[in-house]
Amino acid sequence: MEPMLNTLTLITLLTLTTPLLLPLLSEKLKPTPNMIMHTTKTAFMVSLLPMMMFMYLNTECITTHWEWKIMMNFKIPLSFKMDQYSMMFFPIALFVTWSILQFATWYMASEPYIDKFFSYLLMFLIAMLMLTIANNMFLLFIGWEGVGIMSFLLIGWWQGRAEANTAALQAVLYNRIGDIGLILSMMWLASTTNTWEIQQNFSQTPTPILPLLGLILAATGKSAQFGLHPWLPAAMEGPTPVSALLHSSTMVVAGIFLLIRTHPLFTNNQAALTLCLCLGALSTLFAATCALTQNDIKKIIAFSTSSQLGLMMVTIGLNLPQLAFLHISTHAFFKAMLFLCSGSIIHNLNGEQDIRKMGGLQKLLPVTTSCLTIGNMALMGTPFLAGFYSKDLIIESLNTSHLNTWALMLTLLATTFTATYTLRMTLMVQTGYTRTIVITPMNENNPTIINPITRLALGSILAGLLITSYIIPTKTPPMTMPTITKTAALTITALGIILALELMNLTQTLTQPKQNAYQNFSSSLGYFNPLTHRLTTEKLLNSGQKIATQLIDLSWYKKTGPEGLANLQLMMTKTYTNAHTGLIKAYLESFALSILILLFYLN
Amino acid sequence: MSPLHLSFYSAFTLSSLGLAFHRTHLVSALLCLESMMLSMYITLSIWPVENQAASSALMPMLMLTFSACEAGTGLAMLVATTRTHGSDQLHNLNLLQC
Repeated sequence: MEPMLNTLTLITLLTLTTPLLLPLLSEKLKPTPNMIMHTTKTAFMVSLLPMMMFMYLNTECITTHWEWKIMMNFKIPLSFKMDQYSMMFFPIALFVTWSILQFATWYMASEPYIDKFFSYLLMFLIAMLMLTIANNMFLLFIGWEGVGIMSFLLIGWWQGRAEANTAALQAVLYNRIGDIGLILSMMWLASTTNTWEIQQNFSQTPTPILPLLGLILAATGKSAQFGLHPWLPAAMEGPTPVSALLHSSTMVVAGIFLLIRTHPLFTNNQAALTLCLCLGALSTLFAATCALTQNDIKKIIAFSTSSQLGLMMVTIGLNLPQLAFLHISTHAFFKAMLFLCSGSIIHNLNGEQDIRKMGGLQKLLPVTTSCLTIGNMALMGTPFLAGFYSKDLIIESLNTSHLNTWALMLTLLATTFTATYTLRMTLMVQTGYTRTIVITPMNENNPTIINPITRLALGSILAGLLITSYIIPTKTPPMTMPTITKTAALTITALGIILALELMNLTQTLTQPKQNAYQNFSSSLGYFNPLTHRLTTEKLLNSGQKIATQLIDLSWYKKTGPEGLANLQLMMTKTYTNAHTGLIKAYLESFALSILILLFYLN
Repeated sequence: MSPLHLSFYSAFTLSSLGLAFHRTHLVSALLCLESMMLSMYITLSIWPVENQAASSALMPMLMLTFSACEAGTGLAMLVATTRTHGSDQLHNLNLLQC
């Protein structure tokens, strides 16, 4: 039984790489979108077996295949680690990707380069899975960079659009800043512990803060925590399948996944944990605040993703990596589904993404909007849907831990806001009078839309239950707490719902709200983008110019250096030129002067 | 210093100052040069008497020879300028601007 685990996982990976390798064998074997989708479906089915084997037998395994012989005493093997995290992540990622690919065959049907699109998505998936299954930092880094590059290519898919190019560039730059942190940690690990294997780096003594800061920076960049977050809302310029796959379920969790993998390094360093906690709390609240006044449906879901990523970071800061992974797993289902529903709505409305121009879609697109509601309910943490199992546990652990109260307050507030903006989106999109401009012939008759969305809806409902039933927690969850603490998450969500209902009453009337500071803060995303993108760059370039021209050129060369010396000589020369007249009077005067000096000296 | 030395000293100094400051006529420069020569001749003559060193008694003769040549050259130049410029005013000689 045990040898089958690694064999089946490798078969999964091989199945996925087949559509990319086939064109190398023959030109006629180019992969079609349908073929890629069926490949992913097959890979999903195959990957279920190792997962079930893991659930039943609790077998984990590490396989090593060959070695990059770059340096003498530093081993970089190609080794895969099939443990709880990678075994669980494979089926979930493949399930979500299968649904998204099936949806994309309908969504991108009118795209001329659809083959390239699908092969890009497949390449992304392979890079992501490689990141997940990596046993050493080298392989993880390969996967990391791979997903970064594919994100760039896919966000800028419609490359004729200037905003798409800007967004892709933004994504790559912010990811690069995170990569600095990752490379820093890798180099520290290589120089101090002489290995890049993840399990060899664990020790009981507290790790110094430097590599941990590097890892946190890497997670901040890749998972869009506050400070390196603007790329995630901007990444919505890419097609909806890209947003669904990369920027909700898979790529953005790579940063959190890195922290989960290297978690034993963090366990003893309380400062790093507190940093994660506060950073996550700040990110989740900031994203939730920005989502309150957004009007683009994809941006709302993007900020919701950002907020949930902050929540995952908070969980890491609570020293609960398994819970963070649970949240990653359940979040993948409903977030991908939300994006697919929004994609269906957008296409049916002929490209309309503004929720102020949607309304009353519940009767027009019943399946899509029902699944949208299910997804939103799961996101809010409705009891016993998927999101509940992870989110409620996180809030309970937050409330019963000895931690920073400020982080706790922010996270609770963010949970309230999550309920608020989710319900706002639901109400504005589905209920009320129709506000769409053109009544396009909307229909959901195509099974390629309905099947993925309903499949993911099923996952959103059942995934939490299934995963928590079969995976044994490594740390005991909090068992007893006061009633109010137990129902805290539910209470604040209910408060958020009431707030949203009240806000909806306001927006359904025709009164124009006056601008106030809070609304401006929220809708301009906290003024973060203009501040960092314009102010800092302008100051940097300005100071660079000042150093180059005024310090170096002007001061050193003209005033003090070569030219300055010449100027000094010039001053003296000008004075002496007046003396050199050529008149004999001057020369005879100097003769007389010499005589007089002689006079005085000879006495 | 002794009055004898003072007289030679002051004669030489006054003559050289006269050379420097009298710039109207060329002949005044020549005259000052002559007086410088004269004072130097007398100084050189007194030298062996004072120091009782007879070997340097030749020096004033050599000096006199060269001063005679020089005086002759000077007078020739004076005659030349008077012939060409009509006078010996130094401000006529404007190659070296006075």
